[in-house]
Amino acid sequence: MTLFDRVFGGNDAVYGLTEAAIDKAIAEHGADQAVSFPGTAYSLPCYYSVTGTKVTNLGELKEALGVVKTLMTREKRLNDAFMSGVATALCAEFIEALKYLNGAEPYSEPLYGHLPDAIIRELGVPLVTGDIPGVAVVLGSAPSKEEAVELVKSYQAQGILVTLVGGVIDQCTEAGLNMGYSVRIVPLGKDVTSVIHVVSVALRAALIFGNVTPGDAGNLMKYTFERVPAFVNAFKPLDDVIVACGAGAIALGFPVVTNETENIFRVPKSLIVQEDVSKFNATSLEARDIKIKITKIDIPVSFASAFEGEIIRKGDMQVEFDGSRKDCFELVCTKELTEIEDHKFELIGPDFDTMEVGSKQQIAYIVNVAGKNMQTDFEPVFERKFHSYINCIEGVMHTGQRDMIRIRVSKASYEAGFRAKDLAEVLYANIKNEFDAVVDKCAVTIITDADECTKLRHEMAIPAYDRRDERLVSLTDESVPVYYSCIMCQAFSPSHVCVVTPERLGLCGAVSWLDAKATNELDPEGPCQVITKERVIDENLGRYEDVDEAVQKFSRGALEHVTLYSIMEDPMTSCGCFECICGIEPCSNGVVITNREYAGQTPLGMTFSELASMTGGGVQTPGFMGHGKHFIASKKFMKAEGGIERIVWMPKDLKDTVAERLNKTAQELYGIENFTDMVGDETITTEPEKLLEFLTEKGHPALGLEPMM
Amino acid sequence: MGDFKLTTVEEFEAATNRLLETGAKVGADAWQLRVKNQTPHCKFGEQGICCRICAMGPCRITPKAPRGICGCDAHGIVGRNYLKFTAGGAATHSDHGREICHTLYAAAPDGAYKVKDAEKLIRIAKEWGVETDGKDIYDLAHEIAEMALLEYGKPFGFQRWTERAPQHTQELWKNAEILPRAIDREVSCALHMTHMGCSSKPEALVRQSLRTGLCDGWGGSMCGTEFSDVLFGTPKPLDTEANLGVMNAENVNIVVHGHDPSLSEMVCEYADDPEMIAYAKSIGAKGITVSGVCCTSNEVAMRRGIPMAGNFLQQENVVLTGACEAIVVDVQCIFPALGPLSKCFHTKFITTSPVAQMPDSEYIRFTVGTAAEKAKQIVKLACDNFKNRKPELVYIPDMKQKATVGYSVEAIVKTLDGVTNSQVDELGTTKPLIECITSGVIRGAVAMVGCNNPKIRPDQAHIELMKKLIANDIVIVASGCSAQAAAKAGLMDKRAKDLCGAGLKRVCELADIPPVLHMGSCVDISRMMILVAELAKDSGLNISQLPVVGCAPEWMSEKAVSIGNYVVSTGIDTFLGVDPYVSGSDQMGQWLTSGVRDWVEAAYTVETDIEKLVDAMIDRIEEKRTAIGI
Repeated sequence: MTLFDRVFGGNDAVYGLTEAAIDKAIAEHGADQAVSFPGTAYSLPCYYSVTGTKVTNLGELKEALGVVKTLMTREKRLNDAFMSGVATALCAEFIEALKYLNGAEPYSEPLYGHLPDAIIRELGVPLVTGDIPGVAVVLGSAPSKEEAVELVKSYQAQGILVTLVGGVIDQCTEAGLNMGYSVRIVPLGKDVTSVIHVVSVALRAALIFGNVTPGDAGNLMKYTFERVPAFVNAFKPLDDVIVACGAGAIALGFPVVTNETENIFRVPKSLIVQEDVSKFNATSLEARDIKIKITKIDIPVSFASAFEGEIIRKGDMQVEFDGSRKDCFELVCTKELTEIEDHKFELIGPDFDTMEVGSKQQIAYIVNVAGKNMQTDFEPVFERKFHSYINCIEGVMHTGQRDMIRIRVSKASYEAGFRAKDLAEVLYANIKNEFDAVVDKCAVTIITDADECTKLRHEMAIPAYDRRDERLVSLTDESVPVYYSCIMCQAFSPSHVCVVTPERLGLCGAVSWLDAKATNELDPEGPCQVITKERVIDENLGRYEDVDEAVQKFSRGALEHVTLYSIMEDPMTSCGCFECICGIEPCSNGVVITNREYAGQTPLGMTFSELASMTGGGVQTPGFMGHGKHFIASKKFMKAEGGIERIVWMPKDLKDTVAERLNKTAQELYGIENFTDMVGDETITTEPEKLLEFLTEKGHPALGLEPMM
Repeated sequence: MGDFKLTTVEEFEAATNRLLETGAKVGADAWQLRVKNQTPHCKFGEQGICCRICAMGPCRITPKAPRGICGCDAHGIVGRNYLKFTAGGAATHSDHGREICHTLYAAAPDGAYKVKDAEKLIRIAKEWGVETDGKDIYDLAHEIAEMALLEYGKPFGFQRWTERAPQHTQELWKNAEILPRAIDREVSCALHMTHMGCSSKPEALVRQSLRTGLCDGWGGSMCGTEFSDVLFGTPKPLDTEANLGVMNAENVNIVVHGHDPSLSEMVCEYADDPEMIAYAKSIGAKGITVSGVCCTSNEVAMRRGIPMAGNFLQQENVVLTGACEAIVVDVQCIFPALGPLSKCFHTKFITTSPVAQMPDSEYIRFTVGTAAEKAKQIVKLACDNFKNRKPELVYIPDMKQKATVGYSVEAIVKTLDGVTNSQVDELGTTKPLIECITSGVIRGAVAMVGCNNPKIRPDQAHIELMKKLIANDIVIVASGCSAQAAAKAGLMDKRAKDLCGAGLKRVCELADIPPVLHMGSCVDISRMMILVAELAKDSGLNISQLPVVGCAPEWMSEKAVSIGNYVVSTGIDTFLGVDPYVSGSDQMGQWLTSGVRDWVEAAYTVETDIEKLVDAMIDRIEEKRTAIGI
């Protein structure tokens, strides 16, 4: 039997099952029964992205199956095998969709099933930066549970997002492996059809970040092939159905590595037989050209981005450093080259050994850096990375910043030998690795002595923070000589360009003007380049000839004009990984802002996902704009349309987060006190009419402004 | 992707027509006109039933006169003509190879010719059982060159290179008594057999045709290829451009034409010399552009990225641009028409080889010893001629395509290494290609070779066949004028992947190759033989079982028939778009299209309908796949 025969056979089998399942569902529920996945604006995402058609009920699902049938051609050409693979995937999606009928929740802990749009948007930045270097799809049962766990953990240690389908889930569960999205191990489901939930992520990524038009199957597959670093590990035995699914994966550009040797054909870089499961990792990475950033750090526990979301519960805690109760801080200090001995570590005070188990302690760490190209402006940039560095340590949790930090060290990591010098080593290695262009020397001092912590916090740290804050306040769009481009997201969103200014950080929330400046310094040819601001066209709109030229250049002609301060006229584009999205609310002349974490309804009648699906992908959508949370309190927030007084509604959590700064801005700009009290949220209403009543009652300033349209 | 678009044959023709207008102004002749004068062709000649090998005739076979004066029938006459044709081709390729061997023999560390690929020389020496340790590379070069030269006249034994073929193939050759002996012997033997009163039995004549072909492909041509690589470097993927637009109106244009790289390499070397460039500037040009025509162009394109101005039937066009200061030729496929044509323009027509001397040319005899000074003299002559250009006659069609060329077997294997996985695969084999074929991702391969022939609309067959083949996931290796047709059309641009079926497209993307791979000049079809031999060894299949066929849709020269014979003999079904003057004998037709299959497991298919020809190839490839269950 040829490879294509197997694909065609598997496809036919799945098609038959799907047809029967749909017919049965129609017989039970009727053709009008609604069909959908939760938390997505993309209907049945795979079918929608391939065909451009949204399926809403069982009757339409049946019609869709007819369309799928047309893909199932049987010429002996790879195109036919690819399309049959895609058809198999679509059938799998239909079968999975049927599980969600009537709001059912077919998957429960630890299984995830369908993944909502919010997760994909969250994945954008780490995939771009390489913090998540790839996505593994592990399918079937490994020869033993030890081998299953070893493989999964090997990917986890590299920061790869691992999705699991089938028997491997039970193997990992039995072995007691800690699984979940926060540690980047996502068990999808036990049926082979549940693999569609990761395919769905890849295809939605193409729509969200790549601006691929739904139905443009050619560009869809080109996008996933070129930009989504996913691969499949399929354990033997491979039946025809899995081979057919594999054809679908390969069609999307995802290589399949298997230990099956019976009745299988090898295809370079696509279908690779690796009999030794312990080499699946290396084989897969090579096949998908995934490079792992090597940060081999000499500490007794693992260090990987996969541990970033790990939670240490009280019971598992060896010791806690709590800045809310004790004097703690973290600080980067620029020194002269002669003042520092590279890689020197100093501990002032006791090590973790003498600390009582479960106790709250104080800690301070000062990272002294020196380098010919070092600038004090970079200090906060480095410092903000500490959160991520320390979190990547297995069994260590870090929250907060500056002198409001909290760090927990787990018992397991303590027992593995984790001590203060290891914390220092992580900071040292990462700073040197990531900022090698500006840091020539680095030395870390850790202080656990209570008196010393108190003294240095007040004499050294707080004055340093104050100096920086003053500097930040003085950094306005007017006061700086240049802006920066940021095209980091172009790996995923090829025509998107962010223009980063002091008062407008990148829409992902991760790149401030200082970050961009540092990035430019580290790599002048890199993603952040200088944009001059000499030829102003319209100050109010934030329209500059220089900016337009830069945007044209960096988008390679896809964009011609961008304004910095308007959401109506040539607004800045959105890649897809924005933290927030704002859109105009016509009844009140205002704008509604919603954020990624808020899954609920907004007065616009759309959720974050639905709003986000209308923009993104590097296109301009007047009236809608993605942005960072921090931008909300900026004096430049849609300044051309009147500024922040247009904001009429935000989710409560978001409102609380930005309240202090937003109120301050409102006070300064318009003399309004407690502005956020006038802004609606979901606890007040999500209905536009009721929102208008609320705003009228509060006398919200937006009501008196010129209409935006 | 964006602006990529193939250049069509209609566009080629429009450009040619515009050039012919220039020609008409200056009273130039052109092949298009001469074809008209020669049509209709002699029917006896076309069918191969005219015999003029003795002075009793000429005899021509008709229903009323079924035998010649000596009693030879149509089958004997067609068979002898066929063998003589083959011998002409084998002699030509092999003599070219011999020249290269002599050049290698003269190579010196301080001479014009050096050993550029010592590694390859050592590899060959080891293959031939020559001790290499501690030996000076030039001593080794001379030793190997002499051994190779002896292959031409060795009294006993068979061609060394044939040991590169899979064991099974060698057995077939032995059993069929077609394992080639000394190269010159096979050519002599062929001419002996075709002498009056020798062989008139088709079977014997066909057998010797195959053996004569083999002494070319697995003898003389292979010497030409392998030692050209040793001397001038083994080709690696390079970017270049093709079609007349590569000529530059502001520069001194030198066009090299012919087949032997010994001359063209030297001309390229000196055209690149700062002293010569300065000289060109001093006479008002902006620089020097060397471009090529025919196979010498393929040679320098593969090794130096020198652009290709055109293929066989475009040779007059380069002069018709009015911007060609010199067309410098060595051997083979050079129209004598270039002499009179060059007189209509300022162009210098420079012949250089005692083998190819022509009226109305400037003869600058080129020898290994004087190569450097002669090359310099030629470049200078061209520069000096720049001032004689008639600006009103200058028209260079703005037409060219990008091409990635240089796929020697070594380069192909290296490219394939790039798609292996170091965790499971070994390097340095053709296995990744075999895997693509056995899995069905690629259906098979076609070796596209051969010339242009006015009997076929020029380049149309090459291009249309290739387009259909790649759309059906069949990868193409091309050489000679076929390769240039592909390059001119844009099929060697990597962006041509978008014209492929999904399978070949994916392979092109992963391996970063164009769908049509340029393997070199016509002697370099020997590279294709080595490639199939490696594929057979790496797959454990016989060559004849591989889903691979050969095709020469627009062939015209004796060399092409010699090539066809060795390709078939190697076990590769070969498809011709022009009949090799055998239609006058059903027995000869039978032998070539079927009888030889018993000896070598392959045969010819002749089909002048190009659409049917391509379908026949695709069907044959699918039959071969079915036969081995893939």
